[in-house]
Amino acid sequence: MKFDKGFNYKLRGKALEFTINTKIYSLKAIYQAAYLFLDKVYVFLDGDPEKEIKVIMKLKRPSFANASSSVPQSETSEDKSAGLEQIAGEFYNELLNQLLREKVSESNAKIREYIVSAALYNAVPNEVDRLLQEVEEEDWQEDPLGIAKTWEDKQNKEGLKKK
Amino acid sequence: MEVIKFNKKIYSLEAVKKAIEEFKSLAEFKIKDLDKYIEVEIDKIDNEYKGILKDEFSNYVLGLMS
Repeated sequence: MKFDKGFNYKLRGKALEFTINTKIYSLKAIYQAAYLFLDKVYVFLDGDPEKEIKVIMKLKRPSFANASSSVPQSETSEDKSAGLEQIAGEFYNELLNQLLREKVSESNAKIREYIVSAALYNAVPNEVDRLLQEVEEEDWQEDPLGIAKTWEDKQNKEGLKKK
Repeated sequence: MEVIKFNKKIYSLEAVKKAIEEFKSLAEFKIKDLDKYIEVEIDKIDNEYKGILKDEFSNYVLGLMS
């Protein structure tokens, strides 16, 4: 087992193994970090999510690894293990990143819910809006019974008829 | 024949079944529901994918868990 500034790992043949304390990093953060590395390495998880998760990583063969991978796909076993160590280090960095995202998401949860609910409330027309629209759409200006006409208007018309 | 043991506390049966559905054209899969693990037996692997199918399958299941 190597010890490198708090990062413990074992090299077993082509695979690199290390454990993650789930009291620090949640299983969700581990899933999300692992997801980002699936194109570079084979990742297998085992262990107890309530204590610690064992991560087993294997380099993909050059032809199957993503061409955009930052790690050079070398042939020697030393280079391969160095590549794995580098990826494992990046994995730990990504874990921290995911952990931070989780914390920010938790702390912003209420304000996010408020914004979404306010947006949804404004998007759905309420009862008052519906009634106002009905009134606006009503054809009240036609006045088929002549209620809106003044007495003078009515009298003038009647006078003209008599004449 | 290849065997993979997925820890039930980490991998869901639903994800394993979905992955099998996607990979069934490349090999034969059998699931065994053990106490703590979901055991997947992979047999009759397509020659083209013999060296990598087990690992690719594991990656796919993990991808479904994210």
